[in-house]
Parts: sequence; structure tokens; C-alpha cells
Amino acid sequence: MTRTTGERIIFWSLPAVAVVWIAAFFLFPGFVPPMSPKASPAQVAAFYADHTSRVRYSMILLNWFCVALIPILMLIVERMRLMAHRTPILRYCVIGVAAATPIAFLTATIFWLLAAFRPYRAPELTQLYNDLAWITFTCGVPFLVALCLFLAVAIYLDQQDTPVFPRWVGHCNLLIAIALVPAGFAGLTLSGAFAWNGFLSFWVKNLAIAAWLVVMAVVLGQAYARPRSAAEVTA
Amino acid sequence: MMRPAILDDPKRELWLAWYATVGFYSLYTVVFFIITRTQPPGKPWYDPSQVVGWFAGRHDGLLIGFALIFVLGGLSATSLALITYSIRRMSVSRAFAYSYLILYAVAAVPGFLFICTAMTVGAMRPERSPALLQWLYDLAFLSFSGTMGVFLIGSLIWMTAILLDKNHVFPKWFGYLNLCNALTEVVVAPSWIFHEGALAWNGAIAWWINVVVFALYTGAFIYLLRSMILREDFGTGPLPGLDSKVWRTIVPVEATV
Repeated sequence: MTRTTGERIIFWSLPAVAVVWIAAFFLFPGFVPPMSPKASPAQVAAFYADHTSRVRYSMILLNWFCVALIPILMLIVERMRLMAHRTPILRYCVIGVAAATPIAFLTATIFWLLAAFRPYRAPELTQLYNDLAWITFTCGVPFLVALCLFLAVAIYLDQQDTPVFPRWVGHCNLLIAIALVPAGFAGLTLSGAFAWNGFLSFWVKNLAIAAWLVVMAVVLGQAYARPRSAAEVTA
Repeated sequence: MMRPAILDDPKRELWLAWYATVGFYSLYTVVFFIITRTQPPGKPWYDPSQVVGWFAGRHDGLLIGFALIFVLGGLSATSLALITYSIRRMSVSRAFAYSYLILYAVAAVPGFLFICTAMTVGAMRPERSPALLQWLYDLAFLSFSGTMGVFLIGSLIWMTAILLDKNHVFPKWFGYLNLCNALTEVVVAPSWIFHEGALAWNGAIAWWINVVVFALYTGAFIYLLRSMILREDFGTGPLPGLDSKVWRTIVPVEATV
């Protein structure tokens, strides 16, 4: 058995996991279109009363599979071992944010599920759970931003004849980090591009996450397809 | 094309992480003490209407300050990475290094994620019922100031590693300072019980002593990490990027850890 035994299994779980994420996204009635932060407590309560089952199915799915991101991140960490770095610092940085990245999503699903658990609760309480869910989901980007920045730096510093990931992946991570920034400010307004249902905080942020997954999946796949170097075999 | 000097510095990864650590703790201090004015903390004995007033007085500061943490808070991982690296340099099992890394990765949740979320949700709807605003206020301050095992066990792990270490990576006195930091978690435990007095979340013991110890502790480890980086000697071997074949055969230790 080699060091990489089993990595391909994790890698090929990614398409399946991505399908589940996309399914959960479209199954949750609050995403398409995203719920308005301006909805009154009565409207929010009515939403959970009308869509109780779909909120539950979609959020249980997301709760199960959002943490499936962690094994994918560990594949990246294992690739980072082969980067021309002097220290394991950047790998530790990525491990340090890997646990917390899906925790933001996990916590959001808990609040959405709580809101749907007793939809007949006082509307103000349902609105509170709904706000907590949306703010956690939307603003909970600090670990994703840091992850992209760490990867960008790691890729830029990996200066060897055949770098582990091509340089454009570093630029991509930098761009995605920037695209995630506006979502952190979603608490400041209830309408417009920065609001949690706005163009920047919802569409740009979620499409940036999707783009990150596609880019990293492609370059991970390419890294596995490359013939293994002597250093990797003996490592 | 000019090659930036940092790319040729053998310690470049360590320095980048160290400057990011300094940046993160500076931001953290400015956000909590100046922008949001959540430190010193609000009074635990405020009734719901006073909590409404407390939120009203800080509306913009809370939303802007915590948005900055939402965006940049993940940079805290750079200090964990450096500390984990420091433990890997010690003559102790890797178990200490990895325990520290995971304990403090989890610590981000009570360390800032809860207070950022609760305060943002509180400030974004000033018209919310005062009782619910108080609920958010309690969640924010107790998750932030109340005792949290991750800091207690994390500090004890680091302390044990430093005291056992024979490589002198960190001075022994800092091992004992870790014990002081761990004890502050014990001291703040009563803040989950008392609404006022020295042991409440804003009290002379639970807040003031805690903050002084934490500031000394953080200042000390940032300084000591810098000393560690300055002491590191990677020799004058070829740098990554100059010839990857030579590089890979010369530095197998770091490439395979």
C-alpha cells in the first residue's frame, strides 16, 4: 500500500457529494429565490408552516454532507506535502481552518431545522432562529476566506519545475477570497446587493464557493493523473 | 522581472505567518475595544430595556466591527500553525502538536464566531423584542467570556510540551504562564452563575484579571515565536525553486513530516 491508498476513493466521492449539495440547495425553498431579510415575523412563520417538510429534508441533507468537505480538504493538505516549502506551516494553517469551515454551515442547518421543528412557535422566535441561520450561513465566511488565502500563498511559494498546482490556481483562490468578502457585511443592510439575499452576499458568494470546488476538483484530478515523481514514491 | 526578497528568504513561510498573527491580534483588539466596544463587556445585570439601549448605542460599530472579523477572523489559524510548529520542534510526541492544533481550531467557535453572529443578529433588528435581544446579549457575552474547555486544555497541552521539552524551544517560565492562562478559564467559570460582583462576566476577577493575563500571555507568545523564528537555522542549502531535484533530496525531513 502506498501513502495515497484510498485517496482516489475520497476524490471520487466529490462528484456525489456535489450532487447532494446542489440537490439540497434547490430543495430548500428558502434559497430559490433567497428569503428576504425584510420579511415580517408573521411572513417568516408562515414560510416555515407552509414548507416544513422541505426545510427538514434539505437541511438534514446539508447537515450530513456539509462536513464531507473536510476529507476533500485533507486531500489538498496531502498534496501540499509535495510543495517546495521549508516548513509545514501552510499545511497547518489549512488544517486549522478546515474544521471550522463546515461548522458555519452545520450551525446554520441547526437553526433552520429548529425553526421548522415547531413552526407554530411565536413568530418572533421563529424569526430569531431564521435570522441566526441566515447570518451564520451568509457571514460565516472567515474560514473560507482564510483557506483561499492560505492556498494562494502556498501555491505562489511552491516554486519548482513542476509545481503541485499551477500558478493560475493561486490567482483563482485569491479572486474567490475577494468574492467572499461582501458576504461578511450582510448584517449591515436588509436590502440591496449586500443583504443576505442580495447579489453579492448570496449569488456571488455561493457561486464563488461552487467555482472553488470545481477548480480544486479539476486540479486535484490532474495531480492524480500525473505520473508520480520519484520524491513522491519514496516519501 | 524583479524577484521579491521574501521569496528567497528561507524563513518566508514563518515570517508570513508571524506577520499575519500580529495583524490578526491587532485587528481583534481594535474591533473588540474600539469599533464594537464589546470590551469591557456590557453589564450582566442589565434588564431587557437597558440591553436595547446598549445595542442602540453601538449599532454601527457592532455591525461593521464584527463584519471585519467575519471576513478576516480565519487568519487566527496562522498563530495556531506557528505554535503547532513550535511544539513539533520540541522533544515531545507529535500528539501534543496535533492536539493543540485541533483544540484551538475548534476554539474559533466560542472565540469569535458565536459573539459575531449573536451581536450581528441583535444589532440588525433594533425593533426585536427586548427579551429576545437580551437572549442574544447573553449568548454573545457568555460564549465569549464564559469558561471554555478548549482554551483550558489547549493551554495545558502547550504547557506540558514546553515543560517536557529538552530543545529549549520556549523558556520554562512561559510554560508556567500557560498555567496562568489555563487558570483564568477556571476563574471565569462562575460567570455562568453570577449576575453581578467580582465573579460576574464583567467582574474584577472574571474580566479584569482574565484580560490582563490574556494580554500578557498573547504578547509573550507573539514575542517568543519571533525569537524562535530568528533562531531557526535552515542553513545555506539551495532554496526551493532554484533546483527542485536538489531541494527535494536536501530537505526530506520537512517534506515528509
